[in-house]
Amino acid sequence: MTELQAERGGDLSAPPIDVKSKRLRYIDLLIAIAAFAVLASLPFLFSSKALLDFVIRCAAFGLFATSLNLLVGYTGMISFGHGMFFGLGAYGFGLIMQRTGVPVPVAFLGTLVLTAVVATAIGAICVRLKEIYFAFVTLAFQMLIHSIILSWVSLTGGDQGLRGGIPRPKFLGIDPTNHIHLYIMSCALLVIGLLLMRQIAQSPFGYTLRMIRDNASRASFIGIDVWRAKLTIFVLSSLFASTGGIIMCLFVSGAYPEFAYWTISGEGIFINLLGGVTTFLGPMVGTVLLLTLNDTVTRLTEHYGIVLGIVILFFAIGLRKGLMDFAVEWYEARRGDKERAP
Amino acid sequence: MTKSRKPGISRRSALALMGGTAVTFATPWVAGAQAKTIKVGMPTILSGRVAQLGTSSRNGIMIEVDKVNAAGGLAGRPIEMVIRDSKGQPQEAARVARELVNTDGCEILIDAEASSGAFAVHEVARDLGVFCVHTNSETSSLTADPKQHIPNAFRTARQGVHDSIVGGGYAAAIAKAKGLKKWATCSPDYAYGRDTTGEFVYYLKQFAPDVEIISEAWPKLFQPDYTEVVTKILQAKPQALYSALWGGDLTSYIDQANIYALFTQMEVFAVNMADYTALTVVKNLPKGIHSGNRYIKTYPATAENAAWGDAYKAKFNEYPTNWSWENATAMMLIAAASKKANSADGKKLAEAMKGLTIKSPFGADGTVTMRAEDHTLIGYAIGWGTTIPVEPYVPEVKSGDWKQILALEAEWKKTKGYT
Amino acid sequence: MDIDALTGCFASAACLVTQTTSGLIIGMLLFLVAVGLTLIFGVLKVVNFSHGAFYMFGAYFAMTAYQLSGSFALAMLCGAAGTAILGLIFERVFMSRVYGNDVLMQLLVCYAFVLIFDDVVKIVWGPEFRSMGMPTAFQIPPLFIAGGVVPPYYLLLIGVALAVAAVLGFSLARTRVGKVIRAAAHNPGMVSALGINTGLIYGGVFALGGMLAGLAGALAAPVRSLTPGMGFSVLIESFIVTVIGGMGSILGALIGALLIGLIRSFGSLGFPLFTEGLMYLFMVIVLVARPTGLFGKEVA
Repeated sequence: MTELQAERGGDLSAPPIDVKSKRLRYIDLLIAIAAFAVLASLPFLFSSKALLDFVIRCAAFGLFATSLNLLVGYTGMISFGHGMFFGLGAYGFGLIMQRTGVPVPVAFLGTLVLTAVVATAIGAICVRLKEIYFAFVTLAFQMLIHSIILSWVSLTGGDQGLRGGIPRPKFLGIDPTNHIHLYIMSCALLVIGLLLMRQIAQSPFGYTLRMIRDNASRASFIGIDVWRAKLTIFVLSSLFASTGGIIMCLFVSGAYPEFAYWTISGEGIFINLLGGVTTFLGPMVGTVLLLTLNDTVTRLTEHYGIVLGIVILFFAIGLRKGLMDFAVEWYEARRGDKERAP
Repeated sequence: MTKSRKPGISRRSALALMGGTAVTFATPWVAGAQAKTIKVGMPTILSGRVAQLGTSSRNGIMIEVDKVNAAGGLAGRPIEMVIRDSKGQPQEAARVARELVNTDGCEILIDAEASSGAFAVHEVARDLGVFCVHTNSETSSLTADPKQHIPNAFRTARQGVHDSIVGGGYAAAIAKAKGLKKWATCSPDYAYGRDTTGEFVYYLKQFAPDVEIISEAWPKLFQPDYTEVVTKILQAKPQALYSALWGGDLTSYIDQANIYALFTQMEVFAVNMADYTALTVVKNLPKGIHSGNRYIKTYPATAENAAWGDAYKAKFNEYPTNWSWENATAMMLIAAASKKANSADGKKLAEAMKGLTIKSPFGADGTVTMRAEDHTLIGYAIGWGTTIPVEPYVPEVKSGDWKQILALEAEWKKTKGYT
Repeated sequence: MDIDALTGCFASAACLVTQTTSGLIIGMLLFLVAVGLTLIFGVLKVVNFSHGAFYMFGAYFAMTAYQLSGSFALAMLCGAAGTAILGLIFERVFMSRVYGNDVLMQLLVCYAFVLIFDDVVKIVWGPEFRSMGMPTAFQIPPLFIAGGVVPPYYLLLIGVALAVAAVLGFSLARTRVGKVIRAAAHNPGMVSALGINTGLIYGGVFALGGMLAGLAGALAAPVRSLTPGMGFSVLIESFIVTVIGGMGSILGALIGALLIGLIRSFGSLGFPLFTEGLMYLFMVIVLVARPTGLFGKEVA
């Protein structure tokens, strides 16, 4: 993965903690609050329900894709099995709600705890492996979990998924069956999730991860427990992927084995590449891009594959990088020109 | 007045490519329901391995939509079909269904999804309250389970348990006549395969108590290689084999079992054999496979049915599939309900549809009925016979008796705790 | 679970022989597809995600040729040659542009072509499934070899698979071309500096890999139904085989394929509902114990 590393600018390895970074943290918070305000005002400005659906799906896939980028972009761990946590979130939440009838927040926390336990067990085995072998073993676990979901019919409903709807009782004045309530809740989860991930990425731990990505042996020389750091980020990112799955479960009022299939992981990787892995918001941009593309192209043609394939080729062979990477480089090049100009 | 797309138009993809994307970027979020035409949304599978499900569902419904429009539409409103690909993913099926209703202004949903996609669309219908007809999911629980029941959703597809009752009775008669006691099953490992096989075995044993299942094989859906399940069954040496494999899986299985000479060693009962897609595709069809009817233009042997099959063939240059008649029936019922209610309003349609009986080329007695209590279709032609490799493929079909089917179905519901 | 059936089978010689034979047959069919995948990875370090699409094209080419000419041999030839040309074009025009980039970009290009190829097949041959039909020469009763049942057609497949393994193994190890290819896999810069056209080698290896996938598809066409997207499950299975055997190792692919074949044939007795899960479980165990697979070389 040396090419990936080489592409990244040196400014990422700047000293992590100083006054500036603390100020940056406040700016992040302000941006997050502003973003939430804009998102939350959308239903009052537009009457389109499809727009709300679109944002809810963006929240689910955006959290999932951004959490994957914590592994791929920040730590250099290419996981082909990240979708298992998306599926685990959807199934965990759906099952807890269907079987126990606890309030939504309890089920939410319960699902995260469940995800953390599973991710720790799987991660402890996987993070020992490097590069493409890490990708393979995560993929194998993903398929194993998918097989278990299909085979354990009495619990999961097998290939038909969790049927009969997920009960979504009111809590704290929020009614998840109400479209706008669900929308606001998804936006809040998205913004909080992104803010938390941003904090992780900008923390000293986040810089440790970058060091591991760039040179794992150097990191271990200076006393960093690489295995533990990798495992920690593996588990942390699984929690956000799981949250994405929970949003999806609430949205479709069900959980289906396709949520835990490797194609979801593939889509996550694809989103990351579309948006770009060197910026924090790249995966978010990629999510919006892919979902818009998906929704428009399926409206226009049934030959979705050809169109999507050509778009992918444009990114992979034409741009050779994600959209945000491209934008950032273009912007820097332009600024460079201006500075050089008299 | 249709937005449906015929296969093979690459102009559209080219158009989409050349900047159609940019132009329509904003359109998904601009609502545009027209008052005059009535839009009918249809999420289905148009890509991947079961794209045929989508294309033949579309063909089936379009034949009837054209007729309805020629006769003035639904209560004076011409129908515009909006058909979209869900790629077989349930979350896409849910998304497409919601978009069809919320953005495109579709007032009726035809859910032509299979398996889990149908349940996903069912949840959308529950959430949005839109009038919805399931046309392809045969899973019994979709309508039989009261937990799934909603007032605005109906099913015009076969129901697994009906097929199994008739199949069980038919197979038991042959088992008794030929002394077939040792049976094996080989069905795809997913809900439809497991449920229909379980129900078939249940009724087979009811009608022929000394039958014994000595081996079960459960290949995966779309499995390419069936060697291990073929040899497993050969190894068990049963006298008869039941299979719920369908489509390309069934033909693969037949081709692979054929070279092991499996068909010379046992009687084979394959419920999904008698569908033109499978019958016309298999090159070396062994003689004498017992099958349920899926769609066959010679059964029911009426002029109406033959005419429908021929008209379809003339229009699309292929024979109808089981999916075709199921979707056509949905449109026939909607049209009749609209006439009865003199309205195209979803709530009124749903009310009118309950218990509605219409004339149908696919009816066992020339009619089919939408049962009021659980919103599922009854009275459709259902029978079993043996196949031959040339037309008419199934020369003689033994009809199922709907009185018996209904009585046994009621009992089955009780044992499942549905009533 | 049906452990009794499994132990019962181990107690019976006839069952043991039949299931072992069917395991071998499954394995050899898998090997035919997987060997191209492992070869391309070994030399080009590319995980050819579009391998299943080549398998699909091989099958469709063969079917069309068979329907037009009625000759089985010509059908096989068309399947193999057609995909070889396709592989060469694919590598030269597209893949060669992303060698400098990271693995993910290569995967993305392959993924794009999986989508495009599936749609192309749907447009050209239609969305419905098709069947080629067994040539009359092979419509003969199965043979009984040492108590196991073997259809003559599968005997042919096994023969082809073994021949492929032998020819590849020999030419890579012993011939000059093989040595150049191995050298190019090891150090492309050096090979290029010696005046050898590495582009030609890469294109050739990709064409060979595509040809092997196409041949496998063509050979499978008489016994498997043809649909757009048919390469998908085959890709997953051959992927498991190569990862278990070790990416890049031909011997590994052979052993991996046979192991998976045996797991499938005996697993379907003991765990009829979890046979697929068993394969993934096995893959996890192998990867954890030996990350590079059974016969893979440690990456420096």
